[in-house]
Amino acid sequence: MTAISYAPATSASRRGRMNRVLAVTRLHFVDIWSIFAVPFMIMIFILLVNMAIWWLILTSISDPESRANAQEGFSYSGASFYIYVYMMVVAIMTINLTFSFATGYGVTRRNFYLGTCIAFVTLSLLWAVVLTALSYIEQATNGWALGGHMFSAIYFGDGAWYQRVFLHFVGMAFFFFVGAAVATVYVRWKASGMLTFFASLVVLLVGGAALVTLTESWPRVGEWFVDAGSYGVAAWLLVPTALAAAAGWLVLRKATPRT
Amino acid sequence: MSAVVEVSNLTKRFGHFTAIDDVSFRVEENTIHGLLGRNGAGKTTIMQLLTGQDFATSGDIRVFGQSPVENAAVLGNTCFIKESQRYPDNFKPFHVFRSAPWFFPNWDEEYAQLLIADFRLPLNRRIKKLSRGQLSAIGVIVGLASRAPLTFFDEPYLGLDAVARQIFYDRLLEDYAERPRTVILSTHLIDEVSNLLEHVLVIDEGRVIIDEAAEDARGSATTVVGPRGAVDAFLGRREILHRDGIGGLASVTVGPLTGPERAAAAAAGLELAPVSLQQLIIRKTNVSQTEFEQSA
Amino acid sequence: MDESRPIFVQIAEQIENDILDGVLAEESQVPSTNEFAAFYRINPATAGKGVNLLVESDVLYKKRGIGMFVRAGSRALLVAKRREQFQDEFVRPLVAEAAKLGISAEELTRMISHTPAVDSPTARITGTEQVI
Repeated sequence: MTAISYAPATSASRRGRMNRVLAVTRLHFVDIWSIFAVPFMIMIFILLVNMAIWWLILTSISDPESRANAQEGFSYSGASFYIYVYMMVVAIMTINLTFSFATGYGVTRRNFYLGTCIAFVTLSLLWAVVLTALSYIEQATNGWALGGHMFSAIYFGDGAWYQRVFLHFVGMAFFFFVGAAVATVYVRWKASGMLTFFASLVVLLVGGAALVTLTESWPRVGEWFVDAGSYGVAAWLLVPTALAAAAGWLVLRKATPRT
Repeated sequence: MSAVVEVSNLTKRFGHFTAIDDVSFRVEENTIHGLLGRNGAGKTTIMQLLTGQDFATSGDIRVFGQSPVENAAVLGNTCFIKESQRYPDNFKPFHVFRSAPWFFPNWDEEYAQLLIADFRLPLNRRIKKLSRGQLSAIGVIVGLASRAPLTFFDEPYLGLDAVARQIFYDRLLEDYAERPRTVILSTHLIDEVSNLLEHVLVIDEGRVIIDEAAEDARGSATTVVGPRGAVDAFLGRREILHRDGIGGLASVTVGPLTGPERAAAAAAGLELAPVSLQQLIIRKTNVSQTEFEQSA
Repeated sequence: MDESRPIFVQIAEQIENDILDGVLAEESQVPSTNEFAAFYRINPATAGKGVNLLVESDVLYKKRGIGMFVRAGSRALLVAKRREQFQDEFVRPLVAEAAKLGISAEELTRMISHTPAVDSPTARITGTEQVI
């Protein structure tokens, strides 16, 4: 009686491994409706609601100077942040619900995480292109003929196309990978893990804020953001994004899928 | 014969709780193995350990000759259908059947379609809205159509009605006969599956209490029924698995009896009743339960 | 299938019965192991064991690459074997039960001679249905 032995990894089986990574990526996209189409439609709906609000405000103001003031106010719109938060939720749900059944399909944790990362990067790029395109349309139509700003809000800057794509890409990736890190904590330690995680997060944030307040360095923090500018901040955002991605892997590699 | 699974001195602890206690067994290639036992006995934990989803505290696991943990070459040949599997919120069955072939090189689409028709599974309804039985059917179909060389079914048919379960048994046997592969099936519906199994592994409180050919396990006990005095006289000092009685009547389950012993029992006016695999397991697990309580 | 005897023995008996009844003629091919397994809903290895039992006792033989066949003369062989078993399996319990109920030997003989022989294949079909 002998055990069956498999040949060591060859280039062919490495190719097979890549296929399994990409299978996980495709798995995340199999329900494209939930992961992209529905959030996109909700975003368009939010745009329509915003347009209605802008129109109401403008029709209620007759004085041209006040109108200009109001339109300047529009440029501080935070409506498009919705999509970032939504994608973070997508990231959490995706990992939480596919990990168990993908591992049942014989996928290793490593291949699952790699495939998931590729899916998140792809989605970030997709959203970056879509949001950039919408920002150009918004500017070309003079804010949907209302002077409104949703995709050309002031924080997004007024840079070249590649700067805008970069900013949205990094922003999306940040939310995706923070979501991924949160999800892996949940997958591995369930509710008690979440509790510990958020408690430590609150302590960290409050501690940080206290530190800044005690050292009276809020003005300096503000200055830093202004000096770095939208694109500088985006570039710095790559650091926590990479840390979140790495943390997600460290947590997931010892996780056991449970139903 | 070669072993697809070889486990030696496997132990898994969760904190102070020992879920799997120094277990050793092997699973021969191309057999249908029953992993049987009561709820909480450790069946799911064993399956999770064999598929590298959980980590052993100590001991050694070889699947296709290698450790399964994070081993893509090994896991690529497995399919693990879990009890009450959850799916992404908006998934419909067709999402599952569209994506499953990407993971299983031996996937048979035609066969999958046949099974979908057999189980009358609606493809375009959200999985959340499906009945328990329909949810189980998804897993059963994936498990069969994947044709993975090593397939695990963990209580695969919760909520499936008798007709659907029969379809599962028939399809499993039929497909297994044509394309032999190794199947490890955990269930508590032991009587229903006992004839399908070639080998049974019974787990109780993290230990293996029966590991033998299904045929041998089935013949390994007999119940002797008759007047108390006659039964006791016949059994003598034999080890008793289980004892029941009403009035002067005793019903005692013991190990296998030889031909002459059977004849002697008949001559003494005693009745011999067969013990089904399920009864045998119930009796054996009860025994260790009391032993456990005594030792505690 | 009943639980009292090993399933592979019952499979062998089932094939024997079909040979005795003429359902399986001598020199005809018997169903494959997998067909038996599917029909009786048992593991193919168990069905194979039942078939092998009959190969060992010279009732069946294997044609390489084709399948299992009923050996010529096997029916007579089986009749002889079953006749031997008849005393032990049927007559002895019958007499024992009769004695318990106070039925005399003469009475028993009369009862037997008044009992019509049942058409055996039909009897068996209802029998199998009960088991399945």
